[in-house]
Amino acid sequence: MTSCSSIEIRRCRPLLGTFVEIKASGSGETELHRAVNDAFAAVERIQRLMSAHDPGSELSRLNNEAAYRPVAVSRDTFSVLRRANALASESGGAFDHTIAPTLARWGMLPANLCRNNPGGWRDVRLLPHRHVRFLRPLALDLGGIAKGFAVDRALEVLCAGGVTAALVNAGGDLRAFGKQPYWVHLRHPCLPQSFTRAVELNGSALATSSPCLTERRWRGRRVSHLVNPFRQNAITGGVSVSVRADQCWLADALTKVVLNAPALAEQLLARHSAEAFVFTA
Amino acid sequence: MSDWIHRIVTPTAIVISAGAIPCYATTYLTVEQAQKLCFAFATEFAPANVTLTREQRKAIEKDSGVRVRLDTQKVWRAQSGDKVLGWFIQDEVLGKHEFIQWALALNTNGSVRQIEILDYRETYGYEIRNEKWRAQFTGKQHGAELKLDSDIQNISGATLSCRHIADGVKRLLALYDLVLKH
Repeated sequence: MTSCSSIEIRRCRPLLGTFVEIKASGSGETELHRAVNDAFAAVERIQRLMSAHDPGSELSRLNNEAAYRPVAVSRDTFSVLRRANALASESGGAFDHTIAPTLARWGMLPANLCRNNPGGWRDVRLLPHRHVRFLRPLALDLGGIAKGFAVDRALEVLCAGGVTAALVNAGGDLRAFGKQPYWVHLRHPCLPQSFTRAVELNGSALATSSPCLTERRWRGRRVSHLVNPFRQNAITGGVSVSVRADQCWLADALTKVVLNAPALAEQLLARHSAEAFVFTA
Repeated sequence: MSDWIHRIVTPTAIVISAGAIPCYATTYLTVEQAQKLCFAFATEFAPANVTLTREQRKAIEKDSGVRVRLDTQKVWRAQSGDKVLGWFIQDEVLGKHEFIQWALALNTNGSVRQIEILDYRETYGYEIRNEKWRAQFTGKQHGAELKLDSDIQNISGATLSCRHIADGVKRLLALYDLVLKH
């Protein structure tokens, strides 16, 4: 528990296509607000770098140019790509950050990300001096990992800003810091007003992936923002996967592994000291 | 902790509290708090509320492509002495499941300075489109809390989009262009 003189503030801003909520505890209100402002700024920075929707983002530059020449990127983008490549390789492609052309075809990402016969994650090459090159035309979507990464960055900023405890929740991707335990309720995939028992976050992260709120019809098929990379079809129906891990980028990315390759997931979760919570309605 | 004994857990007994939890709600900031956060150096927030004529509403809808639901808008001019620092606009948006009170701070040149959510309510019943239900919150940033299940503090699950806020920003920028700019 925090001491009696500790206060908690809560703020919320629309970022990363969802609502980012930050709770922070400490002794001075002014310092807390300053730390939270800085944390939001860190999230905004990640959004500016890695949004597939923003034509001015670093990711869009990669998608436009990296098939033709090596492109230099920021430390953060390079770091996310390194993690994404590693997890794609480790999961045999169950986590795949090159599904953007499929999502673009379904109208879930800008149409300029459509590719004919696109390359895959094996064609994303990370070169020295933070340069990136695609071996074949392809398009990246970091939506499955960057939100978690942004939560991690925000939490680092809060720690550096002297808060005693904090929780960052980016539309269901959360990470906690400090001695204070935070409880998180998991939403039922088909009955959004229903929740499970709370899960405790003691300095760990939790992320959830579910097609429930993005599912829609496209040319007579059901599609969602979640793609099964092996079949290039959408994950649909009443399913929701939550993963608890030490870091939020990892929790975020591992939800896709559990959804796409359940047989493989157990081993991968164990290797990363992570746990999954799977709902099927 | 007991939920996590196995690496992959499929809950058999789900604690469903439909009915017991009509919605999830949080108050983040009062108008005054948000004003100070958006304009730390302001010495005064001068009320400059806007009442839109039918024609103005139509013009804003045409310009922004977003429906204008209300004909009055709470606006303040942030000042430091006589110097105008920008504008603070209070607004509300209504989604399928969300009723959100929020604020947009604009610089003097009309660029977005800051966006803060003041109050967020999410429900899955008929309530959100019910005037009486929403009237409980209008003009009351604190106090006036619906008594909800206070145990539900943090939620992880299918993500709600912030598209309605993005539409709200478009609408208010059109309002700025039409009414406040001059």
